[in-house]
Amino acid sequence: MRPPQTEPGRRFAAALAWTVAALWTGAVAAAGPKLLEPERAFAFSVQALDEKTVEARFAIANGYYLYREKLHFSVEPASLAAMPTLPSGKIKDDEFFGKVETYRGELTVALALQQAAPGSKVVVRAESQGCADAGVCYPPQVQSVTVTLPLPGMPPGAPVAATPARKSWFN
Amino acid sequence: MAKGRWWFGFALAVAGVAALLAGVYFARETGEPTTGEMRGKDATALFGIALPDTKGREQALTQWKGKVVVVNFWATWCVPCREEMPQFVNVQRELGDRGVQFVGIAIDQPDKIDAFAAELNLNYPVLVGGYGAIELSKALGNRLGALPFTVIVDRAGRVAQTQLGPLKDRELRAIITQLL
Repeated sequence: MRPPQTEPGRRFAAALAWTVAALWTGAVAAAGPKLLEPERAFAFSVQALDEKTVEARFAIANGYYLYREKLHFSVEPASLAAMPTLPSGKIKDDEFFGKVETYRGELTVALALQQAAPGSKVVVRAESQGCADAGVCYPPQVQSVTVTLPLPGMPPGAPVAATPARKSWFN
Repeated sequence: MAKGRWWFGFALAVAGVAALLAGVYFARETGEPTTGEMRGKDATALFGIALPDTKGREQALTQWKGKVVVVNFWATWCVPCREEMPQFVNVQRELGDRGVQFVGIAIDQPDKIDAFAAELNLNYPVLVGGYGAIELSKALGNRLGALPFTVIVDRAGRVAQTQLGPLKDRELRAIITQLL
């Protein structure tokens, strides 16, 4: 970029031109395709922590959020030992549904398994529904990940990212 | 000179912040821009189908062909969808007798649709779509299958405009007025 010239007038003109260019760039950037595919906006991964616990994780993109009450987990062929404890979300007042809780950023949920054989593979499914601040909502989606449970006393497995989302229908 | 640099840097910073705010503003205002690829094409995907209303009666979409048809894909669980619907009610009331017909396709359950329709005094039909309705919206240019998604069809049955994300009232009226 050229250094500023002498008179304030010219400097002002340069700054103004820069502002206009920046504004225009901003507007063009905003007009381009920018909404994420739901599986990218709500990236799902699972890590097997030990022979009877897996950790489900959502990396929620900036500007997107998930609804707490629309979040459901299931595992196969094992089953959940208990209803997973979902962290509290941010409370939003919805004029139609009342108080709803939403998640942004990182969300991790530990899932305790029962009837899971150490060393076996389990499929962890998450059904979720979320929206973008830009003013759109995604239909409920199901994402699934297959992880191998470690043998007792062995270190946790590596996190595994979800395969492409499956279509889903809400309850 | 040092003072000049400071001034220039300050101006740059101001411009940068302004650009950022503009980006955020536009992004919030418009959502994803109007998708142009379907424009001018026959809305065959739309007029070839029938969907049940909330009472279970099949409604063929061809019954509205010849009007300026505004098909809005929505759901009660979609806040931005609900927020833009009062303006649809207004435009339907004001321009309905000039040949505008709004049709909602809800990715939702009939009881929830009826409850919200009653709350809003909805003055246009809503049809019940399952996940297949999301697929239908994709066939009409809704790349992400997200909501709200609106298709404006001209009197000849061609797609005049599609929009993912809320439509601005002014924009909606401008498009419709042009087609009447």
